[in-house]
Amino acid sequence: MSEPAERPRRFQGPITPGQIRADVDDEIWFHLEMRIEELIREGRSPAQAREEAVRMFGDLEGTRAEMSAADRRRERRARRRDYLGEVLQDLTHAHRQLRRRPAFAMVAVLTLAVGIGANTAVFSVADHVVLRPLPYEAPERVLAIWEVDPRAGQARREVAPGNFVSWRDRARSFASMALIQPDGFDLTSPDGPPAAVRSWGVTEGFFETIGARPILGRSFLPEEHALNAPRAVILSHRMWQQRYGSDPKIVGGTIQLDFAPATVVGVAPPWLQYPDESDLYNPKRWNPNEETDRRSAYMYAVARLGPGATPAQAQAELDAIAARLAAEYPATNASVRVSAVPFEEQVLGDVRPALMVLLVAVGFVLLIACANVASLLLARAAERERELAVRAALGAARTRLIRQLVAESLLLALVGGAAGIALAYAGVQALVALSPPNLPRLDTISVDGRILWFALATSLLTAVLFGLAPALRASRPDLLSPLRAAGRTFGAIERLGLRRVLVGGEVALALVLLIGAGLLVRSFMTLLDNDLGFAPENRATFQVFLWDLNPTPEQRLQRVQAITDAFLATPGVEAVGIGTAIPFHPSAIDPMSNLVVEGRPVPETGAEQRVYTTIVSPEYFRVMGIPLRAGRGFSATDRADAPRVALISEAAARRYLPDEDPVGQQVRFGVMGAPQTWEIVGVVGNVRPVTLDSDPRPEVFVPLAQTANGSVTFVVKARDAVAKLIPALRRQLWAAAPNQTIYYEATVEGLISHTLAERRFHLLVLGAFSVVALTLATIGVYGLITYSMSLRTGEISVRMALGARAGEIMGMVVKDGVLLALPGILAGTVAALVLTRFMRAMLYQVAPTDPRVYLQLVVLVLLLAAVAAYAPARRAASIDPARALRED
Amino acid sequence: MPRSPVGQGAGGSQEGYYIRFLAKDPEGIPVADSLQLLRGTLDILILKTLAGSRLHGYAIASRIAARTRGALAIEDGALYQSLHRMAERGWVEAEWGHGETGKRARFYQLTEAGRRQLRVETANWLRYAEAVFRVLQPDAA
Repeated sequence: MSEPAERPRRFQGPITPGQIRADVDDEIWFHLEMRIEELIREGRSPAQAREEAVRMFGDLEGTRAEMSAADRRRERRARRRDYLGEVLQDLTHAHRQLRRRPAFAMVAVLTLAVGIGANTAVFSVADHVVLRPLPYEAPERVLAIWEVDPRAGQARREVAPGNFVSWRDRARSFASMALIQPDGFDLTSPDGPPAAVRSWGVTEGFFETIGARPILGRSFLPEEHALNAPRAVILSHRMWQQRYGSDPKIVGGTIQLDFAPATVVGVAPPWLQYPDESDLYNPKRWNPNEETDRRSAYMYAVARLGPGATPAQAQAELDAIAARLAAEYPATNASVRVSAVPFEEQVLGDVRPALMVLLVAVGFVLLIACANVASLLLARAAERERELAVRAALGAARTRLIRQLVAESLLLALVGGAAGIALAYAGVQALVALSPPNLPRLDTISVDGRILWFALATSLLTAVLFGLAPALRASRPDLLSPLRAAGRTFGAIERLGLRRVLVGGEVALALVLLIGAGLLVRSFMTLLDNDLGFAPENRATFQVFLWDLNPTPEQRLQRVQAITDAFLATPGVEAVGIGTAIPFHPSAIDPMSNLVVEGRPVPETGAEQRVYTTIVSPEYFRVMGIPLRAGRGFSATDRADAPRVALISEAAARRYLPDEDPVGQQVRFGVMGAPQTWEIVGVVGNVRPVTLDSDPRPEVFVPLAQTANGSVTFVVKARDAVAKLIPALRRQLWAAAPNQTIYYEATVEGLISHTLAERRFHLLVLGAFSVVALTLATIGVYGLITYSMSLRTGEISVRMALGARAGEIMGMVVKDGVLLALPGILAGTVAALVLTRFMRAMLYQVAPTDPRVYLQLVVLVLLLAAVAAYAPARRAASIDPARALRED
Repeated sequence: MPRSPVGQGAGGSQEGYYIRFLAKDPEGIPVADSLQLLRGTLDILILKTLAGSRLHGYAIASRIAARTRGALAIEDGALYQSLHRMAERGWVEAEWGHGETGKRARFYQLTEAGRRQLRVETANWLRYAEAVFRVLQPDAA
């Protein structure tokens, strides 16, 4: 047969279906011709031969179709293989190019990773906590009910059970109301000491009212609320997980509470954390006198609106009821008002402004990251112009060129994206570990897919878009000038301008974040500077409830003495004091009482002012480091049979006895009971009671010996490093009081630190963002200076040839860097002045326009810009002018 | 192209091919008959014919007919469908050239994969034939 002589496939253009059909026909035609010739040779006539040839062929049409189909399939597969081959080529080439520019690749990947990862992490946390709707049933129908007593100087406070009963009985706007009482038990077990568990005692229908039904088992039955009913409890989700290993069989089983069995009837959902986290829920049992107790305001109330009722209507009705109660019970309710707060606001309210700030920070960093990537790619575009010009001159198709450009950007984007995803997961874990415990629904946070995709998409889009920059000109890429002019094309100048804008924007955004963080830092430091009024270092606290095991006052006093002696016997302990309420303590018992100065006209009912009452041991003030301002402190002589004595705080002295010496005055107030008369023997210094930004309040103190209380907190002062002593102290306590549960144990410094947890969290996060933003912006400045210097090598060489010294050149470059950052700084300052006012709620005694903060940070950024310009400056100064001019 | 007056659709993946087995009756007169054989058999015949050669479709058909001494005459349409399918599977590759008439003709040759396929299929077929033969032969010792 003859030799085939066709071009190899590689250089053929794509084969069209029409061509395929034509080829198939040719092939069949050839066959038929040969067959006809053969038949003619065998003796047929041409017409017969033709007919028989066709007959011998078989199904002509079907075969034709089948052949074409098979050929088309084969062509498609070959084309796909070719395409993949080209793509692989592009990617390999891109990979090689990137390896030759490791710095560029690393910075681009890092920028993308941070922009995607860090942002997704914080966005996930913020979104989960703020923006997702609460999983409660119809939370918009739920209200949290508070008492408000302007006379007692409180914005909002917990409710008293008697008031709750009145509201519940009289209000019509609600479908149901529930009361929540802080409670606690000892979880006892045969092995090991008892553990104190916190519980919410809830009234009937609580879970339905709040809209959080148990995820396992059931809520309480009405009969379980009866006084003598066998105990039933519902586990919190956390307790179920941690203590019972998420075992569903615990439902229906029993646990031991206070040495008595209690049936577990259900498990609460994990996101139920109102009013706060807890270990258990138990059915509240009403004591008979609770229904009329309008004084003990320490419970929480929630209510669900009835059909058709609005929060405004409910508030109005409650106001009316409060007014009637004020008239009916002037002794307790004269100034008591009611406030109904929408549940969502209640749960999220404190957190929302802070999280909004964080979201803005996230947006900024994403923008900066994208700007940086864009800037980097624009720089790269200049390098690639020459390469692309060569390829185009060699005949590469436009689409192929574009695909090659995209390949490099895509490779960067993919690697950066993968790194970003990894960073996102790690970041979420880190944030959850660092965050304050009262951030709502923290344990259900995970990486939010939507945000991840959003950040990925944004970054990738930026990467790809700016990677296409060289090809994004109006018509075909300019082939000649890149080959000729070594980068100083018109396009290069354009790009420089765009990059200046990008980097300027980065600097501005970074500065805004920085100022935000700076204001928070200043707030924090101002807060820390606050005088506590006591000395927190080297003190540990142990809170115990002695009633159960020590029913009589004498027994309690004995037990307290035994524990105190045991503590004092521990090496390293200097002194021990006792109080019922320690500053900053989360479960301090600080009831209030009206105070009347003997011999003064009794104020009209309703105008009395209240004081906080605390029971202390004589050593308490010395141990806490609270100074005595006048008179004397308590001593051993102030026993139960001695005259009743009291101490008051400076704030109380100022309020009740501003013009005279308080020492010696007789006052009437009640400490957990009916009012009695006490003689003031001294005045002690003010302390900050609850948080670093809380104001001192009027307080009275009475001796423990004269009011034997069962709920006490021991304060142990150690010579140093009290944390190391805590295990020993615990053992001593159990030795002196067997089976006694320690309800709460902490160092005083720990208590203070705990109240700062939320602020610290915000500070850390915003601080982290600012650092990231600043780093990225600095890199952006550095990159841009380097680039613009590379464009000016000619100019610099000429200068140097004309006698400019290295120092002058360096100065010029550094000045350039600073000038580059200047518009960004200006823009950033203005933006910060406008935006920081939304942070006001998070700041403490610091104005959002605090000039010191602004000034310091502006200087910092200027310095950083100078530093960023330093390396390029040195490089510029070390240019060999002769060589540079030759290379141009 | 003139339409064929005879024949079923010879395409489709489930149908076999028609190979006209020219049986002869006791007087030696050929009796037209049709025998459905598996596509695989047609493939292997083509592959074997192509072994070591570069042929166009007509030549393949002629050679098979000559080799079987006229006993097997493959339907041309089936042959070409098989050729194109094997080209799609990568067992043969085709190039255009010029045939005896001077017109364009498509020449086929085996690929490495095709050679492998031929070896495997030949072994299978021989084993199969041997098994059938053993059944049909009178019992030997």
